[in-house]
Amino acid sequence: MENNWDFERIQKILPQRYPFLFIDKVKELDIPRARIVCVKNVSINDYFFSGHFPGNPVMPGVLMIEALSQASILLYAALKPQNAEKHPIYYLGKVEAKFSKPVRPGDELILEVTREKILDNAGIVKATAKVKDETVVEARIAFGVKLPSEDISKIKD
Amino acid sequence: MAKKIDLESIKKEVRKLVSEIAECPEEKLKDDARFTEDLGIDSMMALEIVATIEKKFKVAVPEEQIPTIRSLNNVYELLAKLLG
Repeated sequence: MENNWDFERIQKILPQRYPFLFIDKVKELDIPRARIVCVKNVSINDYFFSGHFPGNPVMPGVLMIEALSQASILLYAALKPQNAEKHPIYYLGKVEAKFSKPVRPGDELILEVTREKILDNAGIVKATAKVKDETVVEARIAFGVKLPSEDISKIKD
Repeated sequence: MAKKIDLESIKKEVRKLVSEIAECPEEKLKDDARFTEDLGIDSMMALEIVATIEKKFKVAVPEEQIPTIRSLNNVYELLAKLLG
């Protein structure tokens, strides 16, 4: 049903843009189980490979965390659509992560995010990145969500 | 009797997880210490405490209850209610 997550819809939710948008598509969304699977196709054309590293292209770990965080925003938006519509500001709160394998050009990075706890103004998720069924990153990500109405109430105070 | 022992072990586990998340040694954690003012626990840590408690004790903490959790004693009360 509401599973048609095209690029336009992704861009409506994620405030990030080129060269900092790391979701190419939403592959699966399971709202009852609070789980999303997104894809980032890693290409030699990705800008960061020119410096990381010359002659030895490896996707930076921080950018994999960024990609998982962007997938987390999409999960939040799917579970709290009325909040996501207000275009809140998303803050990264805390990251615990383990990196097990390098990711290189040509890899299809599968980003799986499952809810641990999601509230209106914050969330904690389990996030896993895989390449061909092999786990490359395992993380637990905590994020904050600041809704615009909160700004207004603070100004009033 | 059995229930009492249970509550003590719950308290012990809660104290341990709060001490880890708040990065505060267990012996300094008083049951009535205020999370924000005395222990410096911010909203992110509070959420982490709630998420960890939910997972560990297999309970669901309602969103509106979260702001009422201001000390370890509050956590014990809430858990006693949720598990009881």
